[in-house]
Amino acid sequence: MTYPLLLALWLAPLASAVICWAFGPQLRTRSGWLASGFVALSFALAVASWPAGTQSAGGALGAHQRLFSWGPGFDFGLLLDPLSLLWTYIITGVGFLIVFYSIGYMDGDRAFARFFAYMSFFVFAMLTLVLSDNFVGLLVGWGLVGLASYFLIGFWFDRPSAVAAARKAFVINVVGDVGVMFAIALIVANVHSIGFSDTFAGAATFSSGLLFAICLALFIGAAAKSAQVPLHTWLPDAMEGPTPVSALIHAATMVTAGVYLVARCAPLWSRNPEAQLLVGTIGGLTALLGAILGTAQWDIKRILAYSTMSQIGYMIMGVGVGAYEGGVAHFFTHAFFKAQLFLTSGLIIHALSDEQDIRRMGGLWKRMPFAFWAMLTGVLSICGFPGFSGFFSKDEVIYGALQHGHPWLYAVGILTAGITAYYMFRLLFITFLGEYRGEAGTPHGHAPAWIMNAPVAILVVPSVAIGAALMIGGDSSPWARFFAPLFAPQALLAPSPAATPPLSEGLTSVIVLICVAVGFAVAWYRYATPVAQADAVERLRSETAHMPPVLTNLFYVDAAIDLIFVQSAQFLGTISGRVVDPAVLDGAVREAAFSAGWLGAVVRSFQTGLVRAYALLLVAGAAGFIVYYALAGTAH
Amino acid sequence: MPVPIVNYVALGSFMFFIGVIGVLVRRNPLIILMSIELMFNAANLLFIAFARVWLQNAGHIFAFLVITVAAAEAAIGLAIVVTTFRSEKNVDVDEVRSLRG
Repeated sequence: MTYPLLLALWLAPLASAVICWAFGPQLRTRSGWLASGFVALSFALAVASWPAGTQSAGGALGAHQRLFSWGPGFDFGLLLDPLSLLWTYIITGVGFLIVFYSIGYMDGDRAFARFFAYMSFFVFAMLTLVLSDNFVGLLVGWGLVGLASYFLIGFWFDRPSAVAAARKAFVINVVGDVGVMFAIALIVANVHSIGFSDTFAGAATFSSGLLFAICLALFIGAAAKSAQVPLHTWLPDAMEGPTPVSALIHAATMVTAGVYLVARCAPLWSRNPEAQLLVGTIGGLTALLGAILGTAQWDIKRILAYSTMSQIGYMIMGVGVGAYEGGVAHFFTHAFFKAQLFLTSGLIIHALSDEQDIRRMGGLWKRMPFAFWAMLTGVLSICGFPGFSGFFSKDEVIYGALQHGHPWLYAVGILTAGITAYYMFRLLFITFLGEYRGEAGTPHGHAPAWIMNAPVAILVVPSVAIGAALMIGGDSSPWARFFAPLFAPQALLAPSPAATPPLSEGLTSVIVLICVAVGFAVAWYRYATPVAQADAVERLRSETAHMPPVLTNLFYVDAAIDLIFVQSAQFLGTISGRVVDPAVLDGAVREAAFSAGWLGAVVRSFQTGLVRAYALLLVAGAAGFIVYYALAGTAH
Repeated sequence: MPVPIVNYVALGSFMFFIGVIGVLVRRNPLIILMSIELMFNAANLLFIAFARVWLQNAGHIFAFLVITVAAAEAAIGLAIVVTTFRSEKNVDVDEVRSLRG
């Protein structure tokens, strides 16, 4: 079925980007409203596309719009099925709220229009990624979101740290792009097509080694984009960008592209248990590592960045082990509560004139009650407080790990939930409770405008309630029925789980809640009791000093990457520069020049300028020839 | 009775070597040019002699060619001598060494 409306949905943000970019100086602050309007238009079209995206006429699920073709097997088109529909809702819906919020947050920035051009461009690129019906289109979107991320992390390009962070993010993302490219090469070599449907139909004939290779190459891309260990180091640094960028790109949408990729390629993963184990393990490891690192940070945005990394670890673990609905559900709820947390942190940062260190905050609940309540609901949701959205999706992922036969990942998921509660409440307590620890005098923070409060207020609703609205009822919940046409066939491909899990889902929730309660209690004891509040400044300072070096050095991942890749490349460069280049390359050139000079010196010695000497040489030469031929003649 | 070919060859070689020795030992460019003419004519003599022996006209034709080239060479050679004399005020080939490398 063709569906031209999809083109409008897809291209509206691009139009906004072009207009904001071309007419920025004329539009000035109107560019923010324009970009919000176009993204909202996209969202409205996405809502209107619900029936088209979920129908399954003629055996094909969703709506399809052909674009153009490079030849047999190389057809480009757009596909709107439940999975891409869900991502489109988040990209355009949450994206609209964040773009709208940015009108207030970026107020007064000298590159106001440029920011909205980049944001619109990002929305377009992300839509390209999720709407494409083939791997090459996906790779194009994959590269473009990386580019948009590079632009936006380095938005304040007069800060050297922002430029370095942007470069780091771009380089690591390109590592992932290359992985996806390898996967496409393998797919094209085997099915002679780039389309998703052809690939998944052909996957039945793949050998398990080939399947694993494709999954591995795809997962390198997913790991780089979704900040999975060991390619996660760019994400915390990416917090150099403006806060709305962190909320949209580095929390809600772009970093979940890896989850999308694995969920989209479910027919590949479901056929290969080794790939599932690999992805599930990396996801679990990332969840745990991100949570542990989150406990040792002081920058409000970096805490949220590590928490994002940890939550994406959950999602990757979910889709990795085969609990696709759970992983995607966690993406869905996470997009709301994490965007909300980031936007709330943006309110605080904005009000405190760009202060990001939580040690210099404190007592903010009196001054910013709205931000406090918004942060509290976000924290409760991410910790999985019963009834909040995060509760449903996180438990689905954790229980999914057990259901699909990975008890270790199940245990890691539960442990991570406890640590998550600790570091999120730590953030909440240090930021909002106690006394203000910033510079003395009245903080010249201004109350955030409604334009920034409204999107946060709207986000509170889904981050509290959408889980309860959609995800109650197991297999008959609206959520399960929405995805059943897409993911039910995958369950048949995967080897059946060993047996009925030893623990029920309800019991799992209880265990998780106990861990969360312990995490909360530790955070309360350390940061919220009157004793802890009394000498908070001193305590926080000594905590920094006594932090174990493994945490302050972020598990040495950065150092290891630096040592293995950066240093070795620099070493190679030094060798080339100091030895190979002067001795071999330059040396060859210099020797060629020298030998030409030497040859000239030899030949010059014959050039006496004495005509009679030349004549003698001529005669001698002629005589030589004569003698030679005379002898040669006699030899025969 | 015709003169045997060996006499021509002997005379030609003799003339040629006189020319060679002249080029090598004399320092006056005019004498050197004359010595070169001598070598040309030695070659011409042999061309004609062998044309007679083999009864072929190619030798005659070559002799004409050589005479033409010799004329051209004499013209250029004398022009060089005159020019050299103008710039160097000297025509001794051992003294004119501005082309030394």
